[in-house]
Amino acid sequence: MSIEHFLQLYCYAALIVIMVISLYGIVRGASLTKKLIALTIFGDVANVLIIYVGFRLGEKVFVPALPTLEPSPEEVAWFASVAVDPVPQCLVLTAIVINMAVTLFLAFLVIQAYRLYGTTAVKKIAKLRG
Amino acid sequence: MKVKDTIIGIAAALLLIAVMAAIVGGGTAYTPSTEIRRLAEFYLKHCINVYNTTWWTSSPATVTSMVWDYRGIDTYYETSVFFLAVIGSTALFRIAEVKLRAEGEEKRELGLSTIVKTSTRIVFPLISIVSASVVLHGHLNPGGGFQAGSILVVGPLLLMASFSRRYLEDRLRLSRARCIALFTTGLISIILVVALSFAIGGALMQNQPKPWSPKSPWGLLTKIGPLEISGTLFFFDLAEFLVVSFGFTLLFLLLSIPEREFRRLLGL
Amino acid sequence: MLAISMMAFAFTLAAIFTHLAIKNRDLVKATIFSAGQSTAFALIFFLLMAPDIVLAYVAVAVGIYTVLLLYVISKTERYEEGE
Repeated sequence: MSIEHFLQLYCYAALIVIMVISLYGIVRGASLTKKLIALTIFGDVANVLIIYVGFRLGEKVFVPALPTLEPSPEEVAWFASVAVDPVPQCLVLTAIVINMAVTLFLAFLVIQAYRLYGTTAVKKIAKLRG
Repeated sequence: MKVKDTIIGIAAALLLIAVMAAIVGGGTAYTPSTEIRRLAEFYLKHCINVYNTTWWTSSPATVTSMVWDYRGIDTYYETSVFFLAVIGSTALFRIAEVKLRAEGEEKRELGLSTIVKTSTRIVFPLISIVSASVVLHGHLNPGGGFQAGSILVVGPLLLMASFSRRYLEDRLRLSRARCIALFTTGLISIILVVALSFAIGGALMQNQPKPWSPKSPWGLLTKIGPLEISGTLFFFDLAEFLVVSFGFTLLFLLLSIPEREFRRLLGL
Repeated sequence: MLAISMMAFAFTLAAIFTHLAIKNRDLVKATIFSAGQSTAFALIFFLLMAPDIVLAYVAVAVGIYTVLLLYVISKTERYEEGE
């Protein structure tokens, strides 16, 4: 196992560790705001995982944007053989905007819940019963 | 350590070990490899291919051309989800006509110190210029509507923090109603461009002329004079920029109303 | 080799920051650690050759989320309950 292969596995393992820590934060967070913070971290971890799967190994990989406006056929063939996968990047752009909209709405709901119940601690809210 | 924490810790470690074993022992479906999928190669080959213009989008930036042309209907629905979130948050914080100065006009200096105000005055136009550059070159370089909209929101946030909210609403005339007007202008522009491309071509959100469409060979322009405009991509980028930036500014204007007003209105 | 080692360093930094963010009981400190973790993720997105996403992610996660969470904390409680 070369050093590069080991570092790739290490990166994957670190990503899964971050996902597990944020899941723990969502499940056992003691206040609603902490759960919101952990939810944003979890969404970002999912986006990084998608882009990591779409990466391309090789000597010289390229960004999926051509530098010229009128490429010759050889340039197009070179571009298609060396560029990183652009499909996950398009999906992650949509995912970032939707996560942002949901987080904003959840933040507004947390503030409204504090106004009505007087507390954001989850244990006290569970004892309220309506 | 309580029993629940121990159980959760053991479950987390088991998840980690299982995923790593699946990756090391199994195939390479979830790891990067040296070949990419055939769909991605299709998009890369045809997004700017002047020799075979059946499938082209006349834009060398592959991600922007995928967002607005190849997978344009995804983006249309994503914009509608964003619109729903903004409308829902505005409905939660609805306030009829709040007189924020009714508690006595205080003649004190609002905002932070002079050093902060001067540096904000220097940084705010630079932020606006960067976001304008990102949106105007979205179809040629990495960039586009969402990115530029998110960058432009940071400017009014800085102004609200270092000057006051009143400065944004009265001196710069960026009240909530004006934000709603600009935000809906962006949404209506998206609908107009979709209708235009439907009227000229034959399919929804059609960018360049396709040989099987009923109104071939009509399509949108790729150049206006010396300027490169990749069909519908430029106008979609501008409209999305308006939607994202002014939707967020509206939400932050609502969030910065002080809490005592809401408590007074809710009767708490 | 250089890109992979920088990516490993950025992932380690992100893991440390997110552990500190979840463990801390003062919510303002947790927000600042979350912003640090987002910066590490932005470096990872750049090393994975995705410039569109870097532009969108830096503005959203470091700019908008931090300010939004500080507004939420100022309108609700700052310290969370703990044993």
